[in-house]
Amino acid sequence: MHDGLLAAMRRSILDGDPDRSAALAREAIERGLPPLDAVRHGFVPGLDEVGEGFAKGDLFLPDLVMAGEAMKAATAVLEPELQKTGARREILGRIVLGTVRGDIHEIGKTLVSTMLAAAGFEVHDVGVDVPAETFADRAREVGADIVGLSALLTTTMTAQRDVVRALDRDGLRPRVKVIVGGAPVTRAWAEEIGADGYGEDAVAAVSLARSLVGR
Amino acid sequence: MRTHHSPARRHGETVDRVSGRIVTAGVAPPYSRLAPEQCAALSEASLEILERTGVRLLAPEAVELLARGGAAISEGNRARIPRRLVERALETAPRRVVLHDRSGRPALPLEGARTYFGPGSDCPRIVDHRTGERRAARLADVRDAARLCDALPNIDFVMSLFIPSDAPPALADRLQFEAMVGNTTKPIVFVTYEMSGCADVVAMAEAVAGGADALRERPFVACYINVTSGLVHNTDALEKLLFLAGKGLPALYVPVVSGGTSGPMTMAGGLALSNAGALAGLVISQLKREGAPFVLPGFGGDALDMRTMVDPYCAPEPRGMAESLGHRYGLPLFTLGGGSESKVVDGQASVEAGLTMLLGALSGGHLFHDLGYLESGLTGSLAQLAVCNEIAGWIASATAPVEITPETLALDLIDAAGPEGSFLKLPHTRRHMRERWYPTLFDRDNHAGWLAKGGRSLSDRAAEQVSAILERHRPEPLPAEAAAAVRAIVARAAGDIPAALETEASRA
Repeated sequence: MHDGLLAAMRRSILDGDPDRSAALAREAIERGLPPLDAVRHGFVPGLDEVGEGFAKGDLFLPDLVMAGEAMKAATAVLEPELQKTGARREILGRIVLGTVRGDIHEIGKTLVSTMLAAAGFEVHDVGVDVPAETFADRAREVGADIVGLSALLTTTMTAQRDVVRALDRDGLRPRVKVIVGGAPVTRAWAEEIGADGYGEDAVAAVSLARSLVGR
Repeated sequence: MRTHHSPARRHGETVDRVSGRIVTAGVAPPYSRLAPEQCAALSEASLEILERTGVRLLAPEAVELLARGGAAISEGNRARIPRRLVERALETAPRRVVLHDRSGRPALPLEGARTYFGPGSDCPRIVDHRTGERRAARLADVRDAARLCDALPNIDFVMSLFIPSDAPPALADRLQFEAMVGNTTKPIVFVTYEMSGCADVVAMAEAVAGGADALRERPFVACYINVTSGLVHNTDALEKLLFLAGKGLPALYVPVVSGGTSGPMTMAGGLALSNAGALAGLVISQLKREGAPFVLPGFGGDALDMRTMVDPYCAPEPRGMAESLGHRYGLPLFTLGGGSESKVVDGQASVEAGLTMLLGALSGGHLFHDLGYLESGLTGSLAQLAVCNEIAGWIASATAPVEITPETLALDLIDAAGPEGSFLKLPHTRRHMRERWYPTLFDRDNHAGWLAKGGRSLSDRAAEQVSAILERHRPEPLPAEAAAAVRAIVARAAGDIPAALETEASRA
């Protein structure tokens, strides 16, 4: 009986329209559609379709980003209802992500952050030029499964090792996995500093993160 | 390599009728992507951005200079720059910068319609021409690349094609420069990470040139400065700019704007934004020292590939725009092309290099870099650099002025030979036959001849040419005293930086 509403939800994600997706989420609550159904059968199918379109090359990155924004707007409306019913929205995992100290490069990190969020991770983006301790503190605070480290320069790449050490020191590993990326970063480097994985680009980062949380 | 022919004159040159001298100033490039009124509209847009939005400057001295110059400062470091400051800077900046060779002879007058070709810089990886293997680049590769550039006749200047993975990262920029200056006499465009590296490299260049004044008067180096974005100028970039302006040395100041992420998706808005950033740099350099040599970026309006998120180096859409705009300002340009998105030395790599180099040359690109890039600048290839040298030779011939004189018209010979005449045995034929361009890599054999030489592809022949050159070519050595001075500066930097020189690095 909610078929029309569910289809509209899917459409709002495909269109990347946060105003529309939020309005549909409110409508769902008013009409008594269980919030978990709205997420699972309304919004998530839209997100899956966008992901597939992107993988095939039919959709571009901004399509993905805006779909993510629309998803965020819908879940912001539904989250309090979910908590009321005791249901929890399913997330793939929690990730703390940022560019390491001394490095101000933002674009690659933000792309990865967007892609991970669109894939269903809860992403805590800590920004650029981030000290090792901040990564560790934030990971503990949010109960992160993964910490993602970006570096674009050969000179700042070494700061990735500092974060691995800080997480070790705080006893967060091996529970918290570390993934690294950035133009000069290689698989060999990831192994050398004891990181748990390396992705060559944002798409690879998503599959890496999925495999690390066993999904 | 044997060059069969070097044209008497190159594109972008005319001969003064009275003195008979070659003239490069004031020659308009044969191709302009933008019409004059489009350039005016873009320039106007950049001026509006500077006045209305302003630029964030993360170096106090730059903010102070602009405040004193009449810019409005808010939020402590956000400068709104009035147009009169830009107009004034455009008047005081030199319209011609001449890069010299290592021994102080004038080499590259950056002006008019001239285009000079050089490699790209700082690839973390190399496709090894000996094995075809893609691996981390080493300091030895930086030396080989410089030596190859020194030998290749159509490569006009040198950059460090690679980041050496075997050098301590904090010291890599000094070692790159040492590797270049010891292996070529051609002008060098250098890149450093931080201000301290820039000061050390300039000190090395001064030691080679014979002092600060000698280097200022006859600069054989220029510094390529990457700026965070159009309207955010990072501390290191500004400190380098101010340092170089103070010394009167050429700065290549390039704010990086990526359409769809750090700037508008549309080319006009992207270029207006990056140009606003470049003009802000120009104003700062001229406020620091009137007449300081400043080179504008001759590229802009780029965008990430929105499907793959790769930053493409050979996208067709923005070609020529920034060159048109730069020629309107009449300042020297640092342009981009000759690289490829391809992962290997193949057809795509040749096509992308060839098309971008040709358009660059026709647009009057002045200092044109990124030859030898593969994988969108992440991998460098010496074989691809050799292919680019061949392309540059082709372009030089294809765009050289055509000489029309009684000697070249040869009407008397045509008449003497008559309708059925043969020209094979004429001295005129032997006299002029080497004026034609003969390839050193492109194959012109008949099929049997090609098979007899192994029936190999361009990439194989290019790799072999690189091996042959590296086997044989010994660049003019750096005088021992200068080499020792350079080494001492590297050693001092190594002492200041905890990670000491490693074995490979110290053999440089």
